[in-house]
Amino acid sequence: MSATRELIARLREQLGESAPLSPAGPALPLTPPPRRVFPSPRTRSSLQGQAAAHTTALVGIGRVGTRYATDVVLQFQAELAVAHHAVASLLPEEWIEQNGLLNLQTRVSDHQEFLLRPDLGRRLSDASRQALQTRARKDIDIQPILADGLSAEACIGSGMEVLGALIGECESRGWTVGTPMCARFGRVWLQDEIGELLGAKVCIIILGERPGLGTGDGLSAYVVHNPAIGKTDSDRNMISNIHARGTSPNSAASRLADLAGAMLEQGTSGVGLDLSRVAPGNTATELRAPQVRESLVEVGR
Amino acid sequence: MTLGAGLQGPVQSKLRTSLSRTLESDTPREHTPLSVPTLAPEPFLNLLATIRGIGYRFDSPKEVLAKANPLKSGDVLAGIAAGSPVERVAARAVLANLTLCELREAPVVPYDEDELTRLVEDSLDQAAFLCVGHLTVGEFREWLLEDATTGDMIRSVSPGLTPEMVAAVCKLMSNLDLMVVGAKCKVVVRANNTLGLPGTFSSRLQPNHPKDDLEGILLSTREGLAYGCGDAVIGVNPATDSAESTAHILRALDGLMKRNGIPTQHCVLSHVTVQMQALELDCPMDLMFQSLSGTEQGNQAFGVSIGLLDEAHALMGERRSSRGPNYMYFETGQGSALSSEAHHGADQVTLEARCYGFARRYSPFLVNSVVGFIGPEYLADGRQITRAGLEDHFMGKLMGLPMGCDACFTYHADMGQDELENLKVLLGAAGCTYLMSMPVGDDIMLNYQSTSYHDIPSVRKLLGKRPTPEFDAWLNKMGIMQGDAPGENFGKAEMIR
Repeated sequence: MSATRELIARLREQLGESAPLSPAGPALPLTPPPRRVFPSPRTRSSLQGQAAAHTTALVGIGRVGTRYATDVVLQFQAELAVAHHAVASLLPEEWIEQNGLLNLQTRVSDHQEFLLRPDLGRRLSDASRQALQTRARKDIDIQPILADGLSAEACIGSGMEVLGALIGECESRGWTVGTPMCARFGRVWLQDEIGELLGAKVCIIILGERPGLGTGDGLSAYVVHNPAIGKTDSDRNMISNIHARGTSPNSAASRLADLAGAMLEQGTSGVGLDLSRVAPGNTATELRAPQVRESLVEVGR
Repeated sequence: MTLGAGLQGPVQSKLRTSLSRTLESDTPREHTPLSVPTLAPEPFLNLLATIRGIGYRFDSPKEVLAKANPLKSGDVLAGIAAGSPVERVAARAVLANLTLCELREAPVVPYDEDELTRLVEDSLDQAAFLCVGHLTVGEFREWLLEDATTGDMIRSVSPGLTPEMVAAVCKLMSNLDLMVVGAKCKVVVRANNTLGLPGTFSSRLQPNHPKDDLEGILLSTREGLAYGCGDAVIGVNPATDSAESTAHILRALDGLMKRNGIPTQHCVLSHVTVQMQALELDCPMDLMFQSLSGTEQGNQAFGVSIGLLDEAHALMGERRSSRGPNYMYFETGQGSALSSEAHHGADQVTLEARCYGFARRYSPFLVNSVVGFIGPEYLADGRQITRAGLEDHFMGKLMGLPMGCDACFTYHADMGQDELENLKVLLGAAGCTYLMSMPVGDDIMLNYQSTSYHDIPSVRKLLGKRPTPEFDAWLNKMGIMQGDAPGENFGKAEMIR
């Protein structure tokens, strides 16, 4: 016998001559584990009830071994899918025209580029600069802009409602309002170039916010005084969570108009703006969506 | 230990040819004066490599470092990435043949323009540097990988390394190389717990709340503790960055830790100046936090400087509530300098290493990169985020830091949950000191996806790791763990008062 065969034989003897494992025992009928349901007002424990009053964090969800129960996995995957779906959504050009908005393009050519090149989403294409020069009203108090941002779905969902309410608010306060417009693949800082070109005193951009778990329908709005390329985040004020379960379109519009009014009055925006002179509600950090964590998955039989 | 003696085998034989280029290694502990950093980096005339007959020439070590980096969207955004995969390899070939000494003389931001460059240069351990400075980056990679090179030997060399050297060798390493060396590195620190001992794997409990609702924060904390999380720190990112709110949250966490006798540390991650004000309110504070960037200008954007952190560190020396001797907590992340236009044309891996060059001044208790948080324009997808997580861990450990990682993604990055779970296991296997933990990995304030309460015990079980010994004892006393297995109270938040 060769040395190798000898080694194999010796080890095989040590590990058990026939098979390294003894035969598996007979399978026994399994009892299903206790039914775990994603916490709902009907099914939740006292800890879950307490949690529901204070936080949207998913606590009290139990475990199987050290992992999640199946219904938690499905809930989580549904929430993640909702977020990813919103990010991947695109704003059709027809939608902009159907809604009677001036159709603007940034320097971004596709969605992938939009995600990877924020610099291009902050600037208008040459054709859109031209369109703005010839077709948009100039030297206005307020220039509102709608954009897809990180959720076209949110823009399509409630963008027109927020924009309409905002224009109404501004006009009722006696301000001149610029031509309603909408930009595809737009980022927040796009408001600087547009506002500067049009000579707007205050520029407000409303756009889809970065989706969170389970949410893709939130809009944010950013307001800047004396818009010009080179403004930074500290020059802006913003409100977030504009959607059905957060700040309603109407209350968002009136808060945005309050902020714009304060900017016109104080001649500044961002960290320099004295918010104590603005109606309350604009400074508080708001609860992020979803305020109520709803069970997303229902299975019919 | 004499470092020169540790260099053996192929490294040593290659070394012979390179010795004549710079310094003698036979006198490793002797302080030899070095030439001062040159202002005009003119001497690099032959940064050239040829692949298949095509020559690739580079103008400066900074360009070589950038182009040697694996593809990252942030380097593309900055316009400094290699133009092709072949050029990338050419840059690595050039880099492999530069000596550590040459890299010391060519910091990516000039000495006169940046206080971090000055800090690194002026405080470098000359004796340790002299042991390795003559090695090429390629030789240094091999020395790190040699079986004979131990964690203790790496620990001795570490104070002689500049961020540029560490970033350079990182670029020549594959993911598994990064893990093999990362796992060798030994960094053990103490605040209340002893963190980083071999065989341990810890977690920060991150019970953030969008309104700083104390009940909400405490409920989440209790749940995490019941899964064995929180031995690195219970650390809250506050929604409101004020001294009052910082003190308020710290007192609540302190109360919970005292009621339940939990051996760990607490921290509220507001701006360092806000935490300094909070200390004036006489609140407990085990660890002090700050985000760091890799250039002076980047740190200005964060509102910090070496002077300010020196002051904060000194204040904590007197006022902290933890035992120490380590009590600072820093977060970093590739892309932070570029996002504030403060990158000076340097790549994000090198700039990340420079954060560690800053952090090590304060012998911190915790350092972690927040690897996928900053967005797809810096790290586009699962491949880039995974790579960056392993790079940051490796570089931090090599520089002697207790390196953890916030393995995470934002929902607009191209990374799936399965890929993120992979990264958690890779980091655990690489000896990463700690990960984050929150309910289903969902940060309800910052809106991103990280590690969950369930992930920490899962990774520990897979890799045969335990929490810090102090926390382990508490978990066993509480019946949350029984030895290395879940105990009867595992997962029961009701057990924590």
